[in-house]
Amino acid sequence: MSNLFLDSSWLIPLLPILSFIVIILTSRLKQSPDIAGYIAAGFVGAAFLLSMLVIVQLGEAEDGNKYTSDRTWFKVGDNEFTYGIYIDHLTALMLVVVGLVSLLVVIYSLGYMAHEGRRRTRYFAEISLFVGVMLGLVLASNFLLLFIFWELVGVCSYLLIGFWYEKPSAASAAKKAFIVTRAGDISFLIGLIILWNTFNEAAAAQDLSAFSFQFLFNPANLAGHSSELTWITLFMFGGAVGKSAQFPLHVWLPDAMEGPTTVSALIHAATMVKAGVYLVARAYPLFVESPDTMMVVAVIGGFTAFLAAAMALVMYDIKRVLAYSTISQLGYMFLALGAGGYLISQDPDLEEAKGYTAGMFHLMNHAFFKALLFLGAGSVIHSAATQDMREMGGLRKVMPVTSLTMGLGVLSIAGFPFFSGFWSKDELLAAVFDSGAHDPVFYFLWLLGLVTAMMTAFYMARLWFMTFSGSWRGDEEHKDHLHESPKVMTVPLMVLGVLAALSGLIALIDFPGINDGGFSSYLNHPQTEGMVHGHDFGYVLEHTFTSGLTYLSIAAGLGGLALGYLFYNRGIDEELPTRMDAGIFTATTGRAALHKFLSNRLYMSDMYNKFGMLIFTKVAAGCDWCDRNIIDGIVNGMARGFSLSSQRLRRLQTGLVNHYTTLIVGGLFLMLLLFRIFPEIWGWNP
Amino acid sequence: MIDLSYWIALSGLLFLVGAYGVLTRHNAIMVLMSIELMLNAANINFVAFSHHNNNLDGQIFALFIIALAAAEVAVGLAILLAVYQRRGTIQLDLLKLLRW
Repeated sequence: MSNLFLDSSWLIPLLPILSFIVIILTSRLKQSPDIAGYIAAGFVGAAFLLSMLVIVQLGEAEDGNKYTSDRTWFKVGDNEFTYGIYIDHLTALMLVVVGLVSLLVVIYSLGYMAHEGRRRTRYFAEISLFVGVMLGLVLASNFLLLFIFWELVGVCSYLLIGFWYEKPSAASAAKKAFIVTRAGDISFLIGLIILWNTFNEAAAAQDLSAFSFQFLFNPANLAGHSSELTWITLFMFGGAVGKSAQFPLHVWLPDAMEGPTTVSALIHAATMVKAGVYLVARAYPLFVESPDTMMVVAVIGGFTAFLAAAMALVMYDIKRVLAYSTISQLGYMFLALGAGGYLISQDPDLEEAKGYTAGMFHLMNHAFFKALLFLGAGSVIHSAATQDMREMGGLRKVMPVTSLTMGLGVLSIAGFPFFSGFWSKDELLAAVFDSGAHDPVFYFLWLLGLVTAMMTAFYMARLWFMTFSGSWRGDEEHKDHLHESPKVMTVPLMVLGVLAALSGLIALIDFPGINDGGFSSYLNHPQTEGMVHGHDFGYVLEHTFTSGLTYLSIAAGLGGLALGYLFYNRGIDEELPTRMDAGIFTATTGRAALHKFLSNRLYMSDMYNKFGMLIFTKVAAGCDWCDRNIIDGIVNGMARGFSLSSQRLRRLQTGLVNHYTTLIVGGLFLMLLLFRIFPEIWGWNP
Repeated sequence: MIDLSYWIALSGLLFLVGAYGVLTRHNAIMVLMSIELMLNAANINFVAFSHHNNNLDGQIFALFIIALAAAEVAVGLAILLAVYQRRGTIQLDLLKLLRW
């Protein structure tokens, strides 16, 4: 009885999946498009409610911070494969983030998708499935199950990005998202295969599956396999790179903007791209065994953060700015996870898994402010009917709620003091700086992170001012259609606005029985059990504001915001499109080239296209030749042979009775000759 | 008492005559009659061996074959009549619809 909610936690992913089934089954009804949204919202809401109850009860669980439940799935020889639930504090965090953001997105969709007619049925069915499999991924108790949900998440994102499949650009964006992440998935799968081969026997000896977290999160089981673990974690990280759109597999995410804005919000804030970060955090006990992998994670994260922020500087499409910003922020998370893990592997006396907590903290904050920004952008697009910021402007007057809530999101992501992004970004950069003591590369990454923070503030300010301040630059006729969005859309915005502003305070507040000792101690992972974490409100505040680094990151954020204000708030009117980036980018030819380089997204997409086309056309041409000449040759040749021989043989069938009788009698004589007469004459017996 | 070999020779000769008729005649009636000859060659064999072996089975078989031959001729002639009504001929080399 005491574990009622924990024991029914398997219902959490099942509820949204059930919603998918219910919506599909009722899709023939005439009222289906109208009720589908409410079904989805109800089931997702129920899942969220249940996960909250589970989290509350997790604090009362017997061993305090973990709940596992495994069943046998199938057996191969001595090796058992299980399915089940694994809930620890990391899972709890993800449940809150995924559940809450998904619920708000579904509610918002009720308004946003209102004009889509019958397609709403499909939309809400797919989105329920998406939420369900993401919750399943978070709750999975072993890597095999996690991998299955991982792939399902990919499928759902494919379906939703291609929601308007009749648009060629949406169809190709969906394919691109699927194929590019597949490249990462294969890497993940290779990692799992190596993992299985390495630990299979040891796990079987303990009656566990080598994929199960129960086995892998016991440091004693991992000892003595450090070189294998490096490969395993590197390949796993390859999967995360694909899913979380890190360099060099980042190309799919900006194109994924072809889907409805709500889908983008969901992909960027709660599902899909967060799965990659979650994977690294989930597999952290494996990752910290290998400093090399941690270094790779940190470098790729830091580099991606910088690169994506640079590209976000020059985008005009409001959603693309946000897409690059997501890539950049995810880079931050990987940077923190990598730097923190490197420190753990180098320093046995470490007291705090700071990078890990900072990374996951940032994940949570990012989920709220990025969902807010995307939903706000959706609200803007809904009203302005364009995504190009050059044709917007002055929306502040007509859309007060949207502009205000988006302003909160902008301040938060820019790291304005006391907003959520500030706490996590500061903690994150401090963690990277700490690792610098062991390897100077991290000082460089820290600097990169600081510059990125400034660029982030700048491009977010640019986004906000271009959209909301000044005066309307689009069609005069459309000006009268500008409107604030309905309540069903603005209320989720307000909720997210509050969350984006305040979620950072979780680091400071104790929830009795749930996170004694603040957020950083809550997010323990098995490797760091026993480390001292308990920080109360005063400690965190004091710690934050006595460090010089904090003031540097505040300065970076404020500087970026101020620059954005200076460039984009003054006299933005008719001449804006030409004047807008003139200041920094088009003054000299060298800078113009940089602008072009960034606008074209570093030519990465083009390069992939060229290379891809080259390889694919050659391989495809080879396959085509093989198919046409060899495979078809065999099949057609056989057919032609039979056809020709039958053309000849059919002439035997003359239809004349005499011919048949002649053949019969002739055959009779032949048999007589063969079996009677020849043996008599020559003693020969066939 | 005539030796068995004479009966076999007679039936063999009769069979060959029948077979020759089947192979060479173009008129369907003639072919049917030739088939009767062949059947009767077999009958002679049955009766001869029955007598030789002191066993009545062969003679019973011969009776059955006679009945069978009568039925066969009835059916065969009916078919030929129908063919004649439809095609106006019973020349076998003209009836060759059933072919490639």
